[in-house]
Amino acid sequence: MTQQVLVRHRSRTRASSAPAVRRVRARKGHAAAVLVAPYVLLLLVGGLIPTGYAVVKSLQNEAETGFGGLSSYQRVAGDFRFVETFANVALVLCVWMPLLLTAAVVLALLVDASPRRFGASMRFVYYLPGAFAGIANFMLWLFLLNPGQSPVDFLWHGFGYTSLNEVAQPGNLPFIIAAMLFFQGTGTWVVVLCGGLNGIPDELLEAAKMDGATAWGVVWSVKIPMIRPWLGYMTLLNLAYGFQLFLEPQVLGQVTHGLISPQWTPNQLSFTYAYQILDTPAAAAMSVILLLVTLGLGLLVVHRSRLFQDER
Amino acid sequence: MLSPRLGRIGRITTLLLVAAAFAYPLLAFLAVAFRHDDGLAPTGPALNHAADNWQSVLAFNDGVFLSWLTNSIIVASTGSLIAVVAALPAGYALARLRFRGRRLLRFLTLLTMVIPNTVLVIPIYLEVSAVGAVNNLWVVGLLMGFFPFGVYLAYIHFKTTLPNQIVESARLDGLTDIQTFFKIALPISKQAVALVGFFSFVANWTNYFLPLVLLPLSNSTTVSVGLQQLVSSSPLFDPTNAAGLDVRLYAPHLALATLVTTLPVLIVFVLAQRYLVRGQTLGAVKG
Repeated sequence: MTQQVLVRHRSRTRASSAPAVRRVRARKGHAAAVLVAPYVLLLLVGGLIPTGYAVVKSLQNEAETGFGGLSSYQRVAGDFRFVETFANVALVLCVWMPLLLTAAVVLALLVDASPRRFGASMRFVYYLPGAFAGIANFMLWLFLLNPGQSPVDFLWHGFGYTSLNEVAQPGNLPFIIAAMLFFQGTGTWVVVLCGGLNGIPDELLEAAKMDGATAWGVVWSVKIPMIRPWLGYMTLLNLAYGFQLFLEPQVLGQVTHGLISPQWTPNQLSFTYAYQILDTPAAAAMSVILLLVTLGLGLLVVHRSRLFQDER
Repeated sequence: MLSPRLGRIGRITTLLLVAAAFAYPLLAFLAVAFRHDDGLAPTGPALNHAADNWQSVLAFNDGVFLSWLTNSIIVASTGSLIAVVAALPAGYALARLRFRGRRLLRFLTLLTMVIPNTVLVIPIYLEVSAVGAVNNLWVVGLLMGFFPFGVYLAYIHFKTTLPNQIVESARLDGLTDIQTFFKIALPISKQAVALVGFFSFVANWTNYFLPLVLLPLSNSTTVSVGLQQLVSSSPLFDPTNAAGLDVRLYAPHLALATLVTTLPVLIVFVLAQRYLVRGQTLGAVKG
């Protein structure tokens, strides 16, 4: 409030100084360059140069002595595991994404409708598993999945499983990984969506109520449309996350002694090419293929959710 | 239509049931860390067991666990600091200034935000090893500072919560765009700083693939890769492992080590929580 008063006062005294405005406009390009410079540098080092490098590498021949055309792409695409890895990821996404989207939206709306203290503590509990992201979440699940010590051992006994290797058999893997991802990620998205719901101006909600909208009406025609960019972003980021799966199947494969293929996801296949087969062009080609797949999906979602919309 | 009373009971029950489902595995895991286990018969939870377990984790490979923790702290904080320093001005410029290349930069930010970061790990490894900087914590920190999602958050923040009249009048006041950013926009953007800092810290702390590839030496890596080393050297999953080891780690030790690694993320969440959910800057316009 003080800022607003201060600014009004300022603008009244100086609003007519046109030469100053012109001077500032001339400096604008320069100012923008200074402000974006650190980020552009990081974008080059962490994004564009490695991408370019991957493309160049992928076009080399197997011995890395010269131009190999698309031979490395043919090598990876011809690998018997290639299609399988994408099918595995697709299965995980089919189980996980609908669950995640539904649960995050429903929980965020319910938390948003709750009084401060209660809502905030629920949000905190949902976030807690988020602190167990990555390897920590995996460790937790290692314990949950092991029938001998699991607090949900009744579940495994119900299926007739008595050892970790029986629970973590390849056929169950899409469900296990979907459950791991759901557990670690949902709470974070509840927090993000709550932030979005919180940003809806009160006047808008009051106006809808005055127009006679029911609680459901407000949810459908005000709240959900207002958080739509976030829903789009959430879909996008999680689709991308699905394609980068590496840690979970990799370590699960290690502790079950080869029960699960070490090339279960595209990223694991890429890793195998880079560090076991020592075929750098093929590893690079795999990275480029993954890049194109995720970019295609991403652009679709971005377009439809009007992410980064620019109204002016 | 449901009556409001019934709706309220339904809402509270649902929230509590889901909370229980999320909390139960965590509490059970916490209890494991307080057990004693020497590979024969695990006992019930007790406080002094946790202390013993912690000593065993520390004793593993001459306290390598503490080096992993230190490395993680260096890498994750460097990364988030760089992410905040780079993302806020960039987000501001993208949202508020018109300059040449703006559309391209916004497009590239979007694209790199979509790219799963592990996709680029192997190309990044090739790039880093070409300049001979593998096994360098600071390089990993710098690379983690590239956080396009942070730029997007800052962009949204400045676009939606920074009152346009404030920027316009600062401009008329003769402030340069850089001055406007530092004197006007930044001081009311605690929320954006907290958001970018929080999300990048969590992403950095839990990053597994980048340290796995860029910090290959066992004692110079981060705790996320380290935990995986604890698992693979535990007799729990491979009884033959135990033979050559001076310290044998079982489920309680692994659980305790895991819990310790989640503490920094929890602390950062608690610190950032009030900015994560409240439209802090909205107050400036709403009055």
